[in-house]
Amino acid sequence: MGTVKKAKLLRLHFGEGDQYNGKPLYEAIVNRCKELKIAGATVFRGLEGYGETAEIHRHHLIRKDQPIVVTIVDTTENLARLIPEVEQMMDTGMIATSDVEFMRIEKPPTAA
Amino acid sequence: MLQKGTAKKVTIFVNEDTQHHFGSLCDAILTFLLHKGVSGATATRAMAGFGAHQLMHTTKIEVLTEHLPIRIEFIESSEKVDELMPTLYDMVTDGVIEVQDTNVVKVASKERPSPAKGPHTEMRGTARLMRIYMGESDKWQGEPLYEAILKRLRLMDIAGATVYRGILGYGVKGHTHKSGRLPFSHDLPVMISVVDTDEKLAKAVSEVESMMQDGLIVFSNVDVIRLVHSRPETESAHGNG
Repeated sequence: MGTVKKAKLLRLHFGEGDQYNGKPLYEAIVNRCKELKIAGATVFRGLEGYGETAEIHRHHLIRKDQPIVVTIVDTTENLARLIPEVEQMMDTGMIATSDVEFMRIEKPPTAA
Repeated sequence: MLQKGTAKKVTIFVNEDTQHHFGSLCDAILTFLLHKGVSGATATRAMAGFGAHQLMHTTKIEVLTEHLPIRIEFIESSEKVDELMPTLYDMVTDGVIEVQDTNVVKVASKERPSPAKGPHTEMRGTARLMRIYMGESDKWQGEPLYEAILKRLRLMDIAGATVYRGILGYGVKGHTHKSGRLPFSHDLPVMISVVDTDEKLAKAVSEVESMMQDGLIVFSNVDVIRLVHSRPETESAHGNG
């Protein structure tokens, strides 16, 4: 049984159509996370949703605009470094944090 | 209705032609069990056998086919078995009754739950949310890890779990999970979210951990609002799962 540590969970909500310097915003954010040595980041695509503009984000024939959620788990200090950067990259959207406990599983590779 | 957990298995050996009030004893026992609301009983006719009389009964020789052994089995709770035993003891005038401890792993019924009647009820409370992060290509004994974990959670009667596939991500190991150029060459991030009570998750986490090679498990406290259609018998059977 691994040890359980306290951390923060950060969730970024925006649209799949959002761009940053000509690249999808979620790709740009994941790359920035890597540069900042954030422990990990996962991008999920929702089926449908809406945000502050009340425009429904959904899959259009030619334009992808489904909701995107990026979740990141790391220490409060690391997230404090990340949040201002992300805030500057995001145009519209939402940033939410919550307290979590986490357990890292890392076993030496064995013949499975 | 039989429930998961410890129970008693009763096996009764009788002869096919043993009589009970001018009928077959086997039929009489089954009728009695059905009448008493036993959740299920099976009678099996043997191919061959012998009993206390030391006479071989077998289907191979026609003369000896008359007294073939029959085995009646049923599984019930300990209390129910205690309640039935005096009558069974009395009924079996020629044969053997055996009781053993058993463990009921699954009680499944094909019957669909009755369609919801009336409005749903709200159940509020606090619970624990567990998120398990892994890669889509992770395996456990040859099957996808997320499937294996989901099955295990179901076996443990965990209230519910959902598997999400991410579209991009990386973890501590540093390699990027993304979809490959060829179809089926995926190694996308996968996250399973599970909501249940703290105690049940504590049990589940040690099982899940032993199945994982590499990954992250994240816990948070959540408030839950469960919308359920009141079905008193299932609710009491599964507790507040």
